[in-house]
Amino acid sequence: MRIRGAAVVILLAPAMAAMAVLYVIPLGVYFINSFHRFLDGRILPVWTLQTYVEYFTDSFTYKVMGTTLRLSLLVTALAIVIGYPLAYALHTRVRSASVKGLLALLLFSPLLVSVVVRTYGWLILLAGTGLVNTLLRRLGVIDQPINLLFNMTGVVISLTHILLPFAIFPMYSVMSRLDLSLKEAAHDLGAGWWDTFKHVTLPLTMPGIVAGALICFTLALSAFVTPRLLGGGRVQVMPLMVYNNTVDINWPTGAVSGLVLLLMSIAAVWTLNSLLRRLPSV
Amino acid sequence: MRSRPGAADAGSRSSFSPEAPIETPTSAEPARASGADVEIRAITKRFGQVVAVDTVSFVVRGGEFFSLLGPSGCGKTTTLRVIGGFEHADAGEVLIAGRSMGQMPPNRRETNMVFQRLALFPHYTVFDNVAFGLRMKRLPEDDVHRRVGDALDLVQMPGLAARRISELSGGQQQRVALARALVNRPRVLLLDEPLSSLDLKLRLQMQEELKRLQRELGTTFVYVTHDQGEALAMSDRVAVMDGGRLLQVGPPMEIYEQPRTRFVANFIGDANLIDGIVESADGEAVTVRAGGHKVSARRQGWERSGQSVTVCVRPERVRVVAAASGGGGAGSDALRARVEDRAFSGYLVKYRLAIDGLRLHAAVPYVSGTSLHQIGEDVTASWDPQQAVTVANE
Repeated sequence: MRIRGAAVVILLAPAMAAMAVLYVIPLGVYFINSFHRFLDGRILPVWTLQTYVEYFTDSFTYKVMGTTLRLSLLVTALAIVIGYPLAYALHTRVRSASVKGLLALLLFSPLLVSVVVRTYGWLILLAGTGLVNTLLRRLGVIDQPINLLFNMTGVVISLTHILLPFAIFPMYSVMSRLDLSLKEAAHDLGAGWWDTFKHVTLPLTMPGIVAGALICFTLALSAFVTPRLLGGGRVQVMPLMVYNNTVDINWPTGAVSGLVLLLMSIAAVWTLNSLLRRLPSV
Repeated sequence: MRSRPGAADAGSRSSFSPEAPIETPTSAEPARASGADVEIRAITKRFGQVVAVDTVSFVVRGGEFFSLLGPSGCGKTTTLRVIGGFEHADAGEVLIAGRSMGQMPPNRRETNMVFQRLALFPHYTVFDNVAFGLRMKRLPEDDVHRRVGDALDLVQMPGLAARRISELSGGQQQRVALARALVNRPRVLLLDEPLSSLDLKLRLQMQEELKRLQRELGTTFVYVTHDQGEALAMSDRVAVMDGGRLLQVGPPMEIYEQPRTRFVANFIGDANLIDGIVESADGEAVTVRAGGHKVSARRQGWERSGQSVTVCVRPERVRVVAAASGGGGAGSDALRARVEDRAFSGYLVKYRLAIDGLRLHAAVPYVSGTSLHQIGEDVTASWDPQQAVTVANE
């Protein structure tokens, strides 16, 4: 079926308008602001690269960038490592379609609750007298409550939980498209469970892992609520800096920081996509 | 082996007369020196409420090309998967080379499978696909190279080892799948309708190829197919299945000449099936009254007067002569018929004959220069009673 010119324009118009208003224009404003100057609480509409120079010569920039990358990588790795066996179990161990649906719904149910609410939930769980610490102390694992809040640990735990469904979904979807007779063939040719997994299942579900990692990583890069509420000011990540700059009316620095964050996301997407292209299609 | 309870079971469970137990000719015929490679003893497999395989027993001899033939859903693939260890029977036993398999997984059985959808590893090259089984056995890489090379030569695919699976044609993929299984030198090769996705010409070519491989290697083949032509052309013996039950096992000619049930007669080749009541059964022949006609067939031994049976006459056994020339040959019943339709197909002329209450198909070899019977012409149809056979009327 072919759609003629006018129809294309009409069909695409709402999406294009939304993109323009919500994305292209703010990005343009950002871009322009990044060349302005912030001095004495005022934005000077001059054209200069001064903000960029200051941003990239400040060692604090790299500290924040490092924290952001470390957090994102850690959360992505955890979400994949926890999510893959979950997706695999859902795919292989559950036979009944209705049970499968129910479990999938359960897995994705965190998405129905606001990030803020979930983060506050973790605040209660991870507190010094919270459930996790109490449990560990009762079990004799620890003597003193460990600091799970207002540091990297708490942020990683909570963010992993929040992003887990985004890791599971693409992995599960690739698994469910996997031809089961491939596993049977490996089995038939003498491979036990581990060899079958290592040589067949894992390589063939790699596209799902890469896709899941991509989603998790980009979402973790831009995570704001969790580091803000659970980081207690000690987990300084780039979205927080952008927010602080914006609140301080230091739009030029915020803009530069935001653009760098955007470039990091694009770099991640590009890297993982080129990785995906080199993987076999299932 | 003669007192296998399973075999007797299979017989009595079938719905036709107990005087003609389905007992396979296997136990009656002398086994080859290599003995039985696969023995199935009364296996039953259920999926929920569905009985996919119902008390099936048979023996596959060493070096035999054995086919499981039947319509889709007859249980043939499930039977094959039970042999391979991909399914476990709810009852009964599978023996491979005389050893009971129990719950033994596929990777520890002396069988290899060629899957219906081939199941080649898409992320591997041809070489790595074929090498998979050998590498799983931790063979030295030198041996792997030599044996994979030999296997690819065997299936006539040399020089394509470095290709990706997606770069191969359907026929080539077929060959790779065969090589991947055969390279492991299995005692029994299980083939699950491996040619079903190929077009007719390629399928015929691969049939010959498979037959050649099987002859050269002497490997036991258990071949699942729904294509009766394929089964007859390739197999040493054929097992016909329907509705989860094993109906008959025998060499292709025997299955064709002496079908035991109406289903087998109908499924294998073309057949005229005439239902009737046994009028007399003595000596070599059975006389059956069907409608207002009397027809004769070779006596099997189990027929009794008054029993309802079906007479099976292959179309090529029906003689058609012009009514004017009077009657058929000696010892056969002549039926007065009218030619309803006619189709000329080169070496054969096919007639559809209407005989008051009956319809008969005849396939007469075309002899150059003779004239064909006209549509509407009165003719006489007959056959040698020895070339017709009674089958159980289910």
